[in-house]
Amino acid sequence: MPLEGPARIVSELTSRGYNAEREAVTHIAAADHPAAVLEQVVEEMPDDALVVRTDHVEAVLAAGVRQPTSAQDSASDPEPDPDFDTDSVPDTPGADPSVSTGERSADQHDPTGSVPAETGGSGSAADTDSKPSARVERDTDPSLRSLEIDGDMTGDSTGTGEYDDFVAVFRDRLERLGGKLRGRVNHRPATAIQSMPGGSEAGMVGLVNDIRSTASGHWLIELEDATGTFPWLVMKDREFADMVDQLLCDEVLAMEGTLSDDAGIAFVDSMYFPDVPRTHEPSTADRHVQAALISDVHVGSQEFMADAWDAFADWLYTEQAQHVEYLLIAGDMVEGVGVYPNQDEELDVVDIYEQYEVFNDRLKQVPGDLDIVMIPGNHDAVRLAEPQPGFDDRLRDIMSAHDPQIVSNPSTVTVEGVSILMYHGVSLDEVIAELPEEKASYDEPHKAMYQLLKKRHVAPQFGGHTRLAPEEEDFLVMDEVPDIFHTGHVHKLGFGKYHNVLAINSGCWQAQTDFQKSVNINPDSGFAPIVDLDTLDVTVQKFS
Amino acid sequence: MRTEDERYFEQLESQLEAAFEVAEEAKERGGDPEPDVEIPTARDMADRVENILGIDGVAERVRELEGEMSREEAALELAEDFAEGRVGDYETKAGKVEGAVRTAVALLTEGVVAAPIEGIDRVEILTNDDGTEFVNVYYAGPIRSAGGTAQALSVLVADYTRALVGIEQYDARQEEIERYAEEIALYDKETGLQYCPKDKEAKFIAKHLPIMLDGEATGDEEVSGFRDLERVDTNSARGGMCLVLGEGIALKAPKIQRYTRNLDEIDWPWLQDLIDGNYAADAEDDEDADNADTEDGNDEGDSDEESETDAEGAAETDEVDPDDETSDEDSDDDEGPPRVGKSEKFLRDLIAGRPVFSHPCAAGGFRLRYGRARNHGFATAGVHPAAMHLVDDFLATGTQIKTERPGKAAGVVPVDSIEGPTVKLANGDVRQVDDPAEAKEIRNGVEAILDLGEYLVNYGEFVENNHPLAPASYTPEWWIQDIEAAGADIQALQDDPRIDLEHPDPDEAIEWALEYNAPLHPMYTYLWHDLTVEAFCALADAVAAGRVERRLDETGGGVDILVLEYTEATREALETIVIEHRQREGSGEDDGRIEIDDWRPLARSLGCEIRRTATDGSSHSPGANVSPDGPDASTPSATIELERTWSDDDLSECARTWGHEDQPDGSNAVEAVNEVAPFDIRERSPTRIGNRMGRPEKSERRDLSPPVHTLFPISEAGGAQRNVADAAKHAETMSDTPGIVEIQIGRQQCPSCGTETFKNRCPDCETRTEPDYRCPDCEQSLDPDDSGRVECGRCEIEGTCVETREVDINDEFRSALESVGERENAFEILKGVKGLTSSNKVPEPIEKGVLRAKHDVSAFKDGTVRYDMTDLPVTSVRANELDIDVGQLQALGYEEDIHGEPLVHEDQLVELNVQDIVLSDGAAEHMMQTADFIDDLLEQYYGLEPFYELEDRQDLVGELVFGMAPHTSAATVGRVIGFTSAAVGYAHPYFHAAKRRNCDGDEDCVMLLMDGLLNFSRSFLPDKRGGRMDAPLVMSSRIDPSEIDDEAHNMDIVSQYPREFYLATLEQADPEDVDIQIGEDTLGTDGEYTGFEHTHDVTDIAMGPDLSAYKTLGSMMDKMNAQLELSRKLAAVDETDVAERVIEYHFLPDLIGNLRAFSRQETRCLDCGEKFRRMPLTGDCRECGGRVNLTVHQGSVNKYMQTAIEVAEEYDCRDYTKQRLEVLEKSLESIFENDKNKQSGIEDFM
Repeated sequence: MPLEGPARIVSELTSRGYNAEREAVTHIAAADHPAAVLEQVVEEMPDDALVVRTDHVEAVLAAGVRQPTSAQDSASDPEPDPDFDTDSVPDTPGADPSVSTGERSADQHDPTGSVPAETGGSGSAADTDSKPSARVERDTDPSLRSLEIDGDMTGDSTGTGEYDDFVAVFRDRLERLGGKLRGRVNHRPATAIQSMPGGSEAGMVGLVNDIRSTASGHWLIELEDATGTFPWLVMKDREFADMVDQLLCDEVLAMEGTLSDDAGIAFVDSMYFPDVPRTHEPSTADRHVQAALISDVHVGSQEFMADAWDAFADWLYTEQAQHVEYLLIAGDMVEGVGVYPNQDEELDVVDIYEQYEVFNDRLKQVPGDLDIVMIPGNHDAVRLAEPQPGFDDRLRDIMSAHDPQIVSNPSTVTVEGVSILMYHGVSLDEVIAELPEEKASYDEPHKAMYQLLKKRHVAPQFGGHTRLAPEEEDFLVMDEVPDIFHTGHVHKLGFGKYHNVLAINSGCWQAQTDFQKSVNINPDSGFAPIVDLDTLDVTVQKFS
Repeated sequence: MRTEDERYFEQLESQLEAAFEVAEEAKERGGDPEPDVEIPTARDMADRVENILGIDGVAERVRELEGEMSREEAALELAEDFAEGRVGDYETKAGKVEGAVRTAVALLTEGVVAAPIEGIDRVEILTNDDGTEFVNVYYAGPIRSAGGTAQALSVLVADYTRALVGIEQYDARQEEIERYAEEIALYDKETGLQYCPKDKEAKFIAKHLPIMLDGEATGDEEVSGFRDLERVDTNSARGGMCLVLGEGIALKAPKIQRYTRNLDEIDWPWLQDLIDGNYAADAEDDEDADNADTEDGNDEGDSDEESETDAEGAAETDEVDPDDETSDEDSDDDEGPPRVGKSEKFLRDLIAGRPVFSHPCAAGGFRLRYGRARNHGFATAGVHPAAMHLVDDFLATGTQIKTERPGKAAGVVPVDSIEGPTVKLANGDVRQVDDPAEAKEIRNGVEAILDLGEYLVNYGEFVENNHPLAPASYTPEWWIQDIEAAGADIQALQDDPRIDLEHPDPDEAIEWALEYNAPLHPMYTYLWHDLTVEAFCALADAVAAGRVERRLDETGGGVDILVLEYTEATREALETIVIEHRQREGSGEDDGRIEIDDWRPLARSLGCEIRRTATDGSSHSPGANVSPDGPDASTPSATIELERTWSDDDLSECARTWGHEDQPDGSNAVEAVNEVAPFDIRERSPTRIGNRMGRPEKSERRDLSPPVHTLFPISEAGGAQRNVADAAKHAETMSDTPGIVEIQIGRQQCPSCGTETFKNRCPDCETRTEPDYRCPDCEQSLDPDDSGRVECGRCEIEGTCVETREVDINDEFRSALESVGERENAFEILKGVKGLTSSNKVPEPIEKGVLRAKHDVSAFKDGTVRYDMTDLPVTSVRANELDIDVGQLQALGYEEDIHGEPLVHEDQLVELNVQDIVLSDGAAEHMMQTADFIDDLLEQYYGLEPFYELEDRQDLVGELVFGMAPHTSAATVGRVIGFTSAAVGYAHPYFHAAKRRNCDGDEDCVMLLMDGLLNFSRSFLPDKRGGRMDAPLVMSSRIDPSEIDDEAHNMDIVSQYPREFYLATLEQADPEDVDIQIGEDTLGTDGEYTGFEHTHDVTDIAMGPDLSAYKTLGSMMDKMNAQLELSRKLAAVDETDVAERVIEYHFLPDLIGNLRAFSRQETRCLDCGEKFRRMPLTGDCRECGGRVNLTVHQGSVNKYMQTAIEVAEEYDCRDYTKQRLEVLEKSLESIFENDKNKQSGIEDFM
């Protein structure tokens, strides 16, 4: 468990009011007596320093480490926490600082420690209007955690924008999603179908190249595979004709049907999406642990809801939130620069780097023992074309609070066995615009997400709203079915289950902007959906 | 009409008639699509309306109605005629409505623009849900050119006719109403509307309209809701409909209401609610769908970037938007000097290479002077030619500028009777440059342009733009009236040969001011209003401390100069008030000083007494100092001393704090000057006008791309060049006969021998052939019906004469050469077209192409040869500036100059006749070539005598041409009067207005008369929307001033503005409240063609550079560097702001747009040109197997990246801008660079 040591160290440091550089943490973790080193580092930190740097640790290591006198002693004397309002720490016996830290230090010596007794049952009973209750000392056991990232393409952007790169991406899409369909139909390549005699039965797997309605109201769908294209006709009276409404160009489909007499066209008898199997059984965590799924913080905007965010951060210290151990942020950390014309006039923080610094300060507010994963969104200072690599080094250095994991959009993060596909959600606009309202709307953004799950691709349509950067493989494909699908972008809250996959679109932390007002959009601002990773139940906390 | 005018028009018309006869004879002989000239002559609007519409009897009826009622009423009257069948030959009700609607639009647009034929596609009768019938009018994009009133009225006429022929009202379905609202919002976003009704308003209108508005799709974007409606063909926005509903009905409701009230048959009671904005209650039930079609609130990146590129369009049409001026025009309290408010609008969308000349109202910028030069008015701006040179030649005659006021844009004209710019040279001289030659000489030594000089705007501009008068500069023409009002005998002064009232010498000026108690002459009135009171006091000290030295001038006489100590403050003050002087920095013997020549008015203005002290130190009485300082008045031994007669405390509170409310107190020293100076001082230049370059002037031949010599199709056989000779040798395979090419072409049949051909004359018997229409299904021969439609009665589909057939291009080419007696080496290349776009695909005889190629002229899509020029106005001309002699003018009927003197000298000004035009040198040369082509054509093809036989360009004088503007369908006959080296087409403003152009940078074309008569054919016009625009469907042989664009009527035509006018400008009065004669005042009188006087003369209508530097500089980078370089020199320009704007409006949109385009791009086959929405999975072209490639490459995406970053650095742009560039640069790297190969170091190769 490589992450466990550092995570513990970070949480320990944070509880004493320090942030730490990643390397500093590594240094401490690599020492013979991490706990002792940590103690000594903290002791010798300059008064005005807030961040433990490598050189602090090195100084301590160079000076030689004293043996710890007693874990209890050192832990029972916590530094005042400069980041947090200490006045609000309740003075109740149940939350006696020395006791809880004592327990934690015991855990340090015993990584296999048992699950706290009070686990279970608090999540589903959440009162969405509850004010953050009294702050309690968080009692988490980092050793129980696990967090793995899959599909992060940061640093792996190998495309150079050539024609061949584009072709490769679409071929890869057909290859991988087509693989899920080939078993279902008796598929033939387009060129083979072209030479089949009229009246034959045929099947094909391909990308939707074109969708047209005919003069008589039928639908003509052109499927394309690596050999060519073939037109498929969906008669308007077929029971699946209304599925045509849900099709997007460039998604992968399988069709089966009968060739016309002149073999120029095939009449569709059945149509298959890659889809999530109905039998899909999501994995769950082995213990009661929760994750907060948020997005669209928009720090730097004049409409950023600082109060709501403060309330959220405070809430995380309450009893109610003690099982929240993971924080996932699905993009748009900041409002960005140049996202729309004259944006500078609506910015609270005009400097993009300062925006991230302010965001980092916001991040510092949340408990240090949270494991944080972030992906960029369309307001962030990364390329707009998807997949979007995670932030560059300069921005990572700025967003160092609590040592978050910064990965590409999209990425899959597996938390204690539960896989969560994080995607910012730009394609939702397109899905909502193209599909009938009952299938996808801004009021029910999760329904639009169902469509993406069905297509097993986060942004199928090329050439429209969504921008594509060609890479050697299609990082936007959902190869594996996630247990949770997490998006943001549309500033609307919505969640639901599709074939047992939990789809969550988190709201935002930005109040209604003038633009939204002008087009009559009411964003869901200041909500944090909390997921029980052991049951995949969702409770929504409201902070505005 | 005066007899002279009558004679003039008769002369034109008889000349026209003579040409017509020749053309008719030629046409009878040749193989043209028609045996007659295809441009009918219209003598008046009624003719034009009838000819454009092609409906007989309209003209007669229009003439009947014209005297009795307004055009709008006439349109309604005609609607009755149509309904009752008195006019037009329509059997169906739909036809009657259509005829009435088209006629109404034609009438309201004076039969010039193409809107009535191109903007209304058809009218059809559809069925309501209750089974009754209603009218659907199907509009198209070109309805835009009709303007809001005509659009709105077309709906009213449609409804009126509907009521008269007995059709029910349209009952809109709920989803259709919703659709209208969504669609209009979409169209506004995509294309932009002058006025976009709010959802509720649009729904209200849609619900109540008694007829259905429909139209064809004009954009690619589709509505998201309310798609696939039964009665709406498309899911895209219907531009024509949106225009009519938005800019027509919604915007012009009050205007239509005036007419509905008088009509009993129809009732539009809802108009009142619309006007009152009282439609809320009505629309409440339709609220729900409003918020459906939007995207994530802040993620409007895409949509807004799009609207960013739209901004130009929006800005141009933004008339209903209140100006973003911080206007103080209404708050006319007595505090502070009168000033106009700043407006930054003209700076929007600044692009690289087009410099800013002055920021809004910036000191050092162009100073507003009122007046009209003879080459001025009608959306133009007079700039001194020296200024044109000094702004690095970026301004030339005809260059368009975007301006702060009074309009939005103007064409630049050179005027040298106004003040030139003042510059500081590298040697420290500060000089006003009034001579263009001097400007060119010193140009390289110019360090800074302290002041751009005056900027002439005529009164009529303010009337036209309904802009309150801006405070006038103090100018000699005003001063003369001031001093006259003060009691001076101005006549005596004017008659005195020793006195130059425009440029008096300083002592005279002071004397007059004192004697008559009148304001000081403007020549010695400095720009005190730009100086702070503090600096004014300091300058008074500096001047008082100065000494007067005597210096010998070239003639040996002595002059006094004032020498001041060189200090930064003094230098700045003198530069601010823009006075000529010499700065000598440094510490040499003659250095560290500032010298001023004509210093007395300055000293007096600063409240310094001039005392003459004898060497013994005794001073003369103060009264003596007014005496002229001639050599006789003083002895060399006397020295002059200056004494400041006031202290800072003497200034009143008012003077100390004087300044406009937008400025800090005491930023305007004018009141202080008035308190300390012994005479009155008016504000010299209270109004500065910001502007920047728009598009450059134009004088170029109009070539299609690639240029076309003959409208004969050769398919792909001629290669990319469309070379007919190549096509004649082309063979697909070795076994094919060379030159046999398969093309789509119209089938003709000989009525006498039955031969099938594609030619207009039977190759066997020379009879004229007829189109051979057949049904594409049953092959049956068909005849067109009365309306020209061809339909197969059995199959109920449209017949056609177009067929794909093999044509022997080689044979055609060779026989054409032979028939005109030319050899192949007579020309370099003969270019044909790939295919024909006309409905019947009638080809042009190749012979014409051969001769065009021989004379290096090319054909436009309608068969004519055209030359484009920027329009500029001119009302009086001199023979010598037109490169003609007096004899030529006399031959054209000019007998007197503007003062009524007999015309004898080349430099006498004569008033231009309304249809006489001046060609640019390039146009003249091109016309010569065209004339040679026409002569050859007549001789070698038609077998007639040559018509022109021009020896040199002087012979062109007196020849007739057509003037023709885009988006119109009527040509105007003009007569060549001379030539100019400026790259523009000068003509009478009424001539431009007759073509529906003004002169704010608009351009249009001229054609040689005979070329139009012989070679134009409707049969060549593309069979698509807008195909009949920009084609001479009719010609106006004479201009009726009341039938032209009424904008021209607002031009003032006087020789002097009254003093009351100048005083009114200080009050910022409404221009209508001032009495100055404008063109409108003479309409309908005998004087309507004459008496166009001007207030300012110009030496030559072509001064300054002939071409703008924008056109002579090579790459975009060169232009941009020159633009930024210039911005550094101009005192009135903030170079950082320019750099910011170039990045913001040009580089960033380009980068962002291209980057977006890259990641959503189409691909195209390099071999066959087939386009694919997405890269084919096969990688190769699905059509031809060829190579497919991207349409947007890395190179086109990041071409400006480095430049933008460098400019941002060098010109110190905001961090916000720099960071936007930084983020973009990283995006580009991320997309176009391989992360794995980036840091290739030496170890990668070890």
